[in-house]
Amino acid sequence: MAAADDATFASTDDLDETEQEAVQDLLFRLADDELVLAERYTEWQVRAPTLESDISMANIAQDELGHARLWYEVLKDFGHDETDLIWERDADDFRHSTLVEQPFAEGDWADAIVRAYLYDVAEDIQLHALENSTFEPIRDRVGKVLGEEDYHLEYATNWLERLAADDEGRENVQDAVDRLYPYALTLFEPTDEEVEATIVERGLRGEDLVELRDTWHDRVSDFLESIGIEVPGLDLPDQYDVHISPDELPEHLGRDGDHTDHWESLLDEMTEAYDELGRDYATHIMDDDE
Amino acid sequence: MNVEETKARASPREFSPKDDLPEEYRKAATRMLEFHANSEIMGAYLERPFIRKAPSLERKMAFSAKVQDEIGHGQLLYRAAESLGVKTRDEMLDDLAEGKGKFLNCFHYPLESWVETPMIAFFVDGAAMRRQATLKKSSWEPYAHAMDKICFEEGFHVKHGESILGELMNGSKKEQEMTQEAFDKWWPRILQFFGPTDDQSSHHDFAADVGLKVMTNDELRNAFLNTYLPKAKKYGLEIPDEPRIRENDDGTYDVVEDDLDWDEFFTIAKNDYEPGVGQIEGRKHAQDAVEWVRNALDEQEAIAAGGQSPQAAD
Repeated sequence: MAAADDATFASTDDLDETEQEAVQDLLFRLADDELVLAERYTEWQVRAPTLESDISMANIAQDELGHARLWYEVLKDFGHDETDLIWERDADDFRHSTLVEQPFAEGDWADAIVRAYLYDVAEDIQLHALENSTFEPIRDRVGKVLGEEDYHLEYATNWLERLAADDEGRENVQDAVDRLYPYALTLFEPTDEEVEATIVERGLRGEDLVELRDTWHDRVSDFLESIGIEVPGLDLPDQYDVHISPDELPEHLGRDGDHTDHWESLLDEMTEAYDELGRDYATHIMDDDE
Repeated sequence: MNVEETKARASPREFSPKDDLPEEYRKAATRMLEFHANSEIMGAYLERPFIRKAPSLERKMAFSAKVQDEIGHGQLLYRAAESLGVKTRDEMLDDLAEGKGKFLNCFHYPLESWVETPMIAFFVDGAAMRRQATLKKSSWEPYAHAMDKICFEEGFHVKHGESILGELMNGSKKEQEMTQEAFDKWWPRILQFFGPTDDQSSHHDFAADVGLKVMTNDELRNAFLNTYLPKAKKYGLEIPDEPRIRENDDGTYDVVEDDLDWDEFFTIAKNDYEPGVGQIEGRKHAQDAVEWVRNALDEQEAIAAGGQSPQAAD
């Protein structure tokens, strides 16, 4: 599956054209997910249930923004800059999953927590599959991101336990799981089948998306069921030792550039001041690190 | 301790929850702290939309951090207020939601455009810094202690605000004009930040006598103008002709009070100013929507109180 240890790429110079495309795709998936998820998280600032949860959610949002920046930073090596990566990019060029672009219904804290949980488990699994990536700049950054994600996962788990211990809370969590689960599956959709094949063949990621999804599903359902939440099943055909692709994927996958309408209006809001000021570049270049 | 004894002992960081303080002192200190805490929350409410609208990733991160800091300051100040034993945090937050809690005049106005953000993040926060720095010498030790952390963080906010202002005033002609317009609109409000001149302020005397306040409104306004008038000019902002500001020979300033709209100011002080009312209710609405979460937590704490210790509700 993964490429031999000696086949590593120290920088973009070592990549051929096919590999360049694959690495960029991989990075866009990572960066766009983090950016858009963080953007949604910030909606809870000044709106969270308590001052304490307000501060924690803001912390998590800032971590995710930092991770987005970290991944976009690597894309700069491919000749991109912040302006074209975010501010001048077309909505359908973004490669995030449609899970992260969904708006929150007012007061639906259960949605925020369930979404965070589904996402954080997926990210944890995905990052571990990148720890031995053949592309060094990705490999080098995984540790920093993983370090912060542990706390996110703990936070979401802790809240889920508390919400599920309450009747109304459990009902709201169940609603959120029912609604978000199909969107969460899009986290494991390829941006492009061929590119995805390259990602795995060249060892850019240690496991393929189906393996990641299966691990994710098992982990998520084990935990959620332990707190009394039902999780939709992934069908397991007899002849294979893997789950098969579910039928219930949502209409829009995101990964292929096809998003729900919520994304375009969100991006419009994000670029409102940039447009109002008549800017044609993002004034602050991204630092390497704080 | 009676009021006279309290006045006699009043000095920086003199009193703590260990002291038996007269009701007048505890009420006056609560009023100040509650006002301050509420202002942090309502300032955060006003700035939150600009996390989303910020025109660069770094500005977005800085705005998110700033709003977070302000909620943290609110948390800290409510705690310092609670320790006076007059009101609980829940009571203060409820009063804020019901339109009974008071907060800074500037946060009753809408904040609509990016070019307005430095009016708060630089000028209003800069004005707040002036006042807060003096409160490190408050006689209520928990207040002074909270100010150590708050002033440290506010320093970053003001720098961030200044950097936005500098960027806008070095930007396109359009950006400069938009920023000047925003300044013209906000300048009188900022001058009113320190309230009316001293002879009209009803709470000052007692607060000063017991060491809760260490500088008068006029002194604070002067200190602010001394620093921020030159800064505004440095960035190319024109100071509006009105309200008239007269510089005295001793380096102090007189603001012509009649040039400022005090009817509006006192309407705001009563929480009756229309945009402010909408902002109070907007926040209440958002908080009502997550009432179910707080109820769920309360129930669990009540259950846990019977047996094991409650988990940290953060």
